[in-house]
Amino acid sequence: VERLDVRVTVHDSRCTGHGRCYSLSPQIFGSDDQGFVVPRGEPIAIDAEHEDAARLAVASCPEAAIELLAD
Amino acid sequence: MTDAATTGTDAGSTAGRDLAGCPVKHYDFAQSAEVGTYLRLADELREEGPVFFNSFAQGYWVFTRHDAVREIYRQADLFSSESFTPHEPNPVYRFVPTQIDPPEHVKYRQILNPWFSPNAVEALVPEARAICARLLDELADRGECDFINDFALRYPTEVFLTSIGVPTDRCDDFVGWVEGFFRGFSGNPEHLDGMVAALGSIRTYWEGVLEERRHAAVPRGRDLATHLLGSTIDGRPLTDTEMLDMLVVLVLAGLDTTQASLGFLFRHLAQHPEHRRQVVDDPTLVPTLVEESLRLYTIIFADGRKVTRDEEFFGVQLRAGDMVCGLVAGANRDPRVYDRADEFVVDRTGTHHLGFAAGPHRCLGAHLARREMQIVVEEWLARIPDFSLAESQPPIERGGGAMLALQHLYLQWNVST
Repeated sequence: VERLDVRVTVHDSRCTGHGRCYSLSPQIFGSDDQGFVVPRGEPIAIDAEHEDAARLAVASCPEAAIELLAD
Repeated sequence: MTDAATTGTDAGSTAGRDLAGCPVKHYDFAQSAEVGTYLRLADELREEGPVFFNSFAQGYWVFTRHDAVREIYRQADLFSSESFTPHEPNPVYRFVPTQIDPPEHVKYRQILNPWFSPNAVEALVPEARAICARLLDELADRGECDFINDFALRYPTEVFLTSIGVPTDRCDDFVGWVEGFFRGFSGNPEHLDGMVAALGSIRTYWEGVLEERRHAAVPRGRDLATHLLGSTIDGRPLTDTEMLDMLVVLVLAGLDTTQASLGFLFRHLAQHPEHRRQVVDDPTLVPTLVEESLRLYTIIFADGRKVTRDEEFFGVQLRAGDMVCGLVAGANRDPRVYDRADEFVVDRTGTHHLGFAAGPHRCLGAHLARREMQIVVEEWLARIPDFSLAESQPPIERGGGAMLALQHLYLQWNVST
């Protein structure tokens, strides 16, 4: 089976700093000194080994601020 | 105790409003009741319908399901935080940044956010763990305790005061002030004077601290009052009023909520040996256990907002000045969002609950609260892996007009001799 290219994007206007994504999936996300996730507003390419972690972050965000794209 | 909370009627005044067929009910959420009453009520109201008008006090809209509650939190331009108590549109206090709307709100949050960020909280963990261990070592040999009064009121208070750089010798005073505030905050008019007195005491305490820090020869490190004295907003220093409005709400929000959440979690653990065993066998489950407790036993029964303009929202016509509230506790148990919504699933993941709110006012202290709770589970189970309820009758929970909280939780366990 050919693997899809998976990316996630954090929508800057929606993130309010709950920190669930970088607490649960630090392989993908970091934080700034205000407690907001970085990077925001740009697509992040996800390695195959981190795909579950990406999906966990998407599902855990109370703001639905993280979008997962696969093509 | 009365069961007024559970005996809603279909009558009540709507002040001549035409509600276009929206159900009208009458509930006094301020009353204390047997533990579990308010979560059951939130479940019932959610399944009866998405919205009703509560004719209690001046009357307000109640939204019961996850989708609407999340939108109330997100749409801060439509739902102002000027008041967050649906039964009291014009409160006597002014909390900053809690009651400040965007765009001013973020300026205050930027001052406070770094203090409560996950990195700052992690740095505090060794001290929090030491406080927890000391308090539990005092209890473990007794074989019984009132978890609320012997431990849960004291632990978050000591941790919080330590985190903001003030001595813990006034710990008992803080506990009393916070209790006094929330008795009145729930909407029970008998306790309003006590609430005002408690606010005055907390404010006087902080006035003294600010005065002392202002004249300190050497600025103190990790001291929130010193941090505020050195902070600016729009290029000017904070006023004394702003600093006091911030410090007072931090105390109120930081202490009561954590003890309340711990009470419900430990009542659950006392009743569910299989869940205790699960986390003893696999301590990496402690964070999901805590998260699931925050979802299933959400202490924020209802969270209010004031409507800023006439607008239709989830099928009803809101008017500027109306009060609304979202039943957060019910939203977090909404089967439209969660599988096995009414079950405690220790290893549940992807739990995007609203227990710490959402939108710009999401809980500043969420990271601290989670970490504090995780530490208690770890330290308690290391000393007391098996324990049970020691109740002759179910405990009483403070009403849902404020944060739900157990007034006592009697636990017992075997002590090896």
